[in-house]
Amino acid sequence: MSDNYDVIVIGAGHNGLVCANILAKKNRKVLICEARENCGGLLEESITNFVPQIPLSVSSSLGGLPVKYKAKSSIALSESGQHIRLVGNQHIDHKVISGFSSKDADRYVKFHDKMSSFSKALGSFMMASPPRIMNNTFSDYFKLFKLGMNVRMLGKKKFNEFARMIGLNIADELEDNFENTLLQGLIAHDAVLGSNLGPRSPGSLINLLFRMATHDNSIFGGIYEIDGGSKAFVDTLLDISNKNKVEIKTSSSVKRCIAENDKAVGVELHNGEKIYAKKIISNADPRSTYFSLLGTENLDTDVKRRIKHHRSKGKVAKLSLSLNKQPEFINCDKDDLESRMVIAPSIDYIEEAFNPSKFDKLSMEPILEMKLKNSDQSNPVLDIQVQYASYGAQEGWDNIKDNYVDAVIKLIVKYAPDIQSCIETKAIVTPDDIEKNFHVTGGHWHHGEVQIDQLFMLRPIPGASQYRTHLDGLYMCGAGTHPGGGLTGIPGRNAAQAILEDA
Amino acid sequence: MNRDLRFTALKKTPFHSRTSLASRTNKYYNWNGFTVPTEYSTTELEYTAARNGTSVMDLTPMCKYMINGSDANRFVDYLVTRDLSQMEDNTVAYIIWCNEDGKVMDDGTIFKFSNTKFMLCCAVKIYNWLHDSAEGFDVSCEDATDTTAALAIQGPTSCSTLKNYGADDLELLKPFGMKQYNINGYDVLISRTGFTGDLGYELWTDPANAENMWDSIMEAGKELKIRPFGMHALEMTRIEAGFIQTNTDFMAAEDSLRPVRMRSPYEIGMGWLVHLNKESYFVGKRALKKEKETGNSERCLVGLDIDGDKPAVGSVIYNEKKEDIGIVTAAMWSPTMKRNVALASLKRPYGIKIKENIFAEIYHPEELEYKKIWAKCKVVKRQFFSPERRNKVPADLYE
Repeated sequence: MSDNYDVIVIGAGHNGLVCANILAKKNRKVLICEARENCGGLLEESITNFVPQIPLSVSSSLGGLPVKYKAKSSIALSESGQHIRLVGNQHIDHKVISGFSSKDADRYVKFHDKMSSFSKALGSFMMASPPRIMNNTFSDYFKLFKLGMNVRMLGKKKFNEFARMIGLNIADELEDNFENTLLQGLIAHDAVLGSNLGPRSPGSLINLLFRMATHDNSIFGGIYEIDGGSKAFVDTLLDISNKNKVEIKTSSSVKRCIAENDKAVGVELHNGEKIYAKKIISNADPRSTYFSLLGTENLDTDVKRRIKHHRSKGKVAKLSLSLNKQPEFINCDKDDLESRMVIAPSIDYIEEAFNPSKFDKLSMEPILEMKLKNSDQSNPVLDIQVQYASYGAQEGWDNIKDNYVDAVIKLIVKYAPDIQSCIETKAIVTPDDIEKNFHVTGGHWHHGEVQIDQLFMLRPIPGASQYRTHLDGLYMCGAGTHPGGGLTGIPGRNAAQAILEDA
Repeated sequence: MNRDLRFTALKKTPFHSRTSLASRTNKYYNWNGFTVPTEYSTTELEYTAARNGTSVMDLTPMCKYMINGSDANRFVDYLVTRDLSQMEDNTVAYIIWCNEDGKVMDDGTIFKFSNTKFMLCCAVKIYNWLHDSAEGFDVSCEDATDTTAALAIQGPTSCSTLKNYGADDLELLKPFGMKQYNINGYDVLISRTGFTGDLGYELWTDPANAENMWDSIMEAGKELKIRPFGMHALEMTRIEAGFIQTNTDFMAAEDSLRPVRMRSPYEIGMGWLVHLNKESYFVGKRALKKEKETGNSERCLVGLDIDGDKPAVGSVIYNEKKEDIGIVTAAMWSPTMKRNVALASLKRPYGIKIKENIFAEIYHPEELEYKKIWAKCKVVKRQFFSPERRNKVPADLYE
């Protein structure tokens, strides 16, 4: 048996590509095995409309990442046409909110400052590899101590406030601060986006803090669109891979990880081919990595329990409407249509949309985040993120898909009365479709809930943090690892560092 | 005032109508949710029967699980530390199993009917553990504790008793062998296993057959010094045999509140049951391999031969500098061996490298006063009592 490669990366999602390239730059011979025909994973379908910027620490370790971003403002749509437009700049936003309530405007600035300082305190922790509590080493405890210090350094008052807010639901905090329900709805929307929480679920506030930590520590700033779309992003990564001589094998689905003497030594493809390497990195979600690649018969019972209890039910569907002309949204100009349009008019509305999802059912009045693509061309596309589109919906996605799409369109009609007449084709990608097409268990954006029990050193499961799995030589670099999904590349970068440390 | 407690009371075993008739003392205790006698007449008498005649014990409360399915063989091999891949049909094996940290959860016996059918017997309830461990294996696990009546028939004349009962050719059954019989119209599984360290058998049958089986065996052993025996007498015999008992000699990993109380197989003298060279993975293998390689086992479980005749129950063990080096987990004066013996958990290197010059501080109660004894001990093999007849094939027969 010979090590043909230094490293095999399973899955060519963006984290896999980032990880592979960093290693290749360090003179490792890298092979990526991708199950699909194309690279990019969830990026390929533009599953998310908007993304945070890749942090400098990640792009610099790739030797620069020539991707251009366009900052986007957020609009909370109102049926009455009294929309709230926020750009993430405090002065402008203050002025905008003053138009609705001067009390809210002042409070918004204060609220934003507070949240921003908290997210900054978490920030450095988000970028680095988390401590591993099971290790019992000094450096791991020091990391934990540092996080505590970061928060404590905010001052006693803020520290107490942080402690108060950490388990809070976002609804309580927003209702304490603001009177405008549309503003409440918009912030609450961002707090629950991509998660399995409603605004009144405990923990929804910290969810917003984590979002802010990757979005320039701002609530409505730091929201970007990639120039040229996600395809441009994938192409850039592939260009770099080419330069770094990373080999990529597409349509090569990995069946299992080959282990010898309890050490990962290679992979076996579904076509029977076996490829050997010194290290194996999985960009797949934790459940697939453990149950399929490692294999249930190679896991301790306790580990199986943890993986089985790992929460990864996706809640967001992507609906694309191809249009034959630009639709008329009430009281919206062309710029507005290219911004982030949110339909989540109040906290109660979101909570109502969330309620059925607790029972794996669907609300026919979901919350939406929309963007119009190609608005200046004759064939614009309305990309819609539909939330609380439950994975494994009890109604059965096959039976209800058409009704569900109709319900979403009916909802949009309230804001754009002529939308029906513009629609040429409709295509929806449900969490079930994501699972099937992209091999992501539960079809979850983040390969697992980003919640307090699955964060930091608990992500994805205790004992498997720091990008290492229970099998020597097998690593993880996907969104299931710290700090989670979103187009940041941090998991991929951190995983590469872990491998370089171990070498 | 008289609340109806029938539905919350301890369960009665299928033998209860017979064991309660045989009990002169009405002393019962709670074993795994069942009420069973601690002693019938006197423990000494029952112990003597076990060593010289036939003793009968109701084993029904023991946890019993049926493991069926096409992956059953692979599954039990994955579950336990011992290599069971080459286990033969109709045999029984003594096993232990660990959690992910390589700490012992319990010990027990596994009965193999075929590659697709096993029965697991143990002290601690582990249905959940079996169920969760079975993820990824094509097996079904079923709790058969309430649906299987079990009786231990132990002692030098036990084979003759069972032959009289109808178990033909039983003397040819090897230790850790098992055989299916049909006696008095009922299926009875007889295995040559037991907890007394002597010749002995265990019988497994339908609860409907329990009373008939008890009566027939009592009749069959009438001339062979047969006597029911309770938990206290069993405790004496198992200490003599050097068998360990979960939550007495070591804490089950799932039951210990303090992680430092958990013990690896190497720390309770069960290293011989850990087959690290087993090809497939088993639960706890990574942790056990690490422990074996680094040699960082902290304790050991050993047999002690103690000076004098006062049992060292609960004694603390000291070295010559009077430093605390461990504790006695079980102790007795052995009437058969005429030795003062004990099982003790010691901090290494005591018990492994240092076997002499250790002392037990014995507090011997004498009519409301304690006699404090400083007794010298010697580390010896844990198996204090192991007569030749125990493993003899064909087994001894008596008229």
